[in-house]
Amino acid sequence: MLDATLRAFALLFTGDADLWRIIWVSLKTSVVGLLLATPPAVLLGYLVAMHRFRGRRIAIWLAQAALSLPTVLIGLLLYLLLSRHGPMGPLQWLFSQSGIIAGQFVVAIPVLLAFTLAAVQAVDPRYAETAIAHGASRVQVMARVLHEARFGVMAAVLSGFGRVISEVGCALMVGGNIEGETRTITTAIALETSKGEFAQGIALGIVLVTIALLMNGVLMLLQGDAHVAKDRP
Amino acid sequence: MIHQISIQGMLGATHARKGDERRKSLLGVKGLRKRHGERLLFDIGCLEIASHSAYVLTGMNGAGKSTLLRVLGGLERAEIDSLRFEGMEERPYPYPRALRESIVYVHQHPVMFSTSIAHNIGYGLQVRGVPKIEAARRVEEAMAWAGVAHLQDVEPGRLSGGERQRVALARAKVLCPKLLLLDEPTSNLDGQAREQVIELIPTMVEAGGSVVVACHDRDLIGLPGVQRLKLRDGHLEVRQ
Repeated sequence: MLDATLRAFALLFTGDADLWRIIWVSLKTSVVGLLLATPPAVLLGYLVAMHRFRGRRIAIWLAQAALSLPTVLIGLLLYLLLSRHGPMGPLQWLFSQSGIIAGQFVVAIPVLLAFTLAAVQAVDPRYAETAIAHGASRVQVMARVLHEARFGVMAAVLSGFGRVISEVGCALMVGGNIEGETRTITTAIALETSKGEFAQGIALGIVLVTIALLMNGVLMLLQGDAHVAKDRP
Repeated sequence: MIHQISIQGMLGATHARKGDERRKSLLGVKGLRKRHGERLLFDIGCLEIASHSAYVLTGMNGAGKSTLLRVLGGLERAEIDSLRFEGMEERPYPYPRALRESIVYVHQHPVMFSTSIAHNIGYGLQVRGVPKIEAARRVEEAMAWAGVAHLQDVEPGRLSGGERQRVALARAKVLCPKLLLLDEPTSNLDGQAREQVIELIPTMVEAGGSVVVACHDRDLIGLPGVQRLKLRDGHLEVRQ
């Protein structure tokens, strides 16, 4: 255990090309998937939170239920869609980074949607009404409300990132864990552990933990003055 | 009582000056009904708001004062048979653009956006696309008018109730609304804060707009030159 941990640090600090390639693929697919998922999910979360329509409760229920959807199931569905004879087969995204990005997009959507929904619902409705009463358009009202909910929306984005960077099922099934191409931090950890090669797994685990700490640190810094910015009732 | 006399003086002067002018109808609503489920909250046959006029809207708690102001401000829907604004027939819904740009509603407990005080006051100008230099000048004037210029570096979340109400009035005043709807602006204020807010209300009429204030405040209800509207048992009574 100690020996594996020491070798893990050695891999990290000697700039092991394979290791850093895995980290790069993970970060790239996660960030791109998240960036693609954020605008539609935040917009949808805002619309569901702010508007009353038939089936709204069902939409909220589905959004919250999707949070607990196993990523391996999302991977299976995407696999079927992206496989050669599937409806999205012509894209040739299966076992490619594009496929993983599509998977991260789908995995991130429920987290972003549910967290944004909760964040916008928590905003006092008087903010939107004040904006409307002072002549704001629908888009301007949305910008105002999302600004008031910004800490919750940021938490949604960071939680979404945490979800996509740490998921293994979808990336494994859609990416295929191809060395140097679609091997991500989590799929590499799973593979190396199954081979009894713990050093690389521990090194990648350290990277994941560091990313999680950084993400939460950023969120705490951003929320640092939230208590001052928040309006009193 | 010094404050009371000065307020009455201001409104009396306004009333006398306006008495010489022919007051035009600003807003006319006929057949205004609001239901909460099956319950009919109010059924108003005719509501006329004249330009350059001040009104107080009274009624028991739950009579529908706030709801009526919110309906007029386009924040709630109601059944409306006909709507006229500045002599033009308008469709009630979607809430007409002419009304949206001319009527401002201020909450009983106004919220402050989590930006600066100046940005809060200039919000309506910003969304209307008023050039920054002009907006800054008008914000400065509004801050001076409301007596909040010294608060520009204060976090909005740290304002007192009276300061918040004055900033909210400045945020509305800066838009020079033709009709300002104030929902119980003094209900949670006392002492100097209350008097400061009361002093600002007549000056809005002086500036050329009309004001409807929902309130229980005797000092506001008893002001000369202010027309009294009372919601009672779902109907609107007009008293001079």
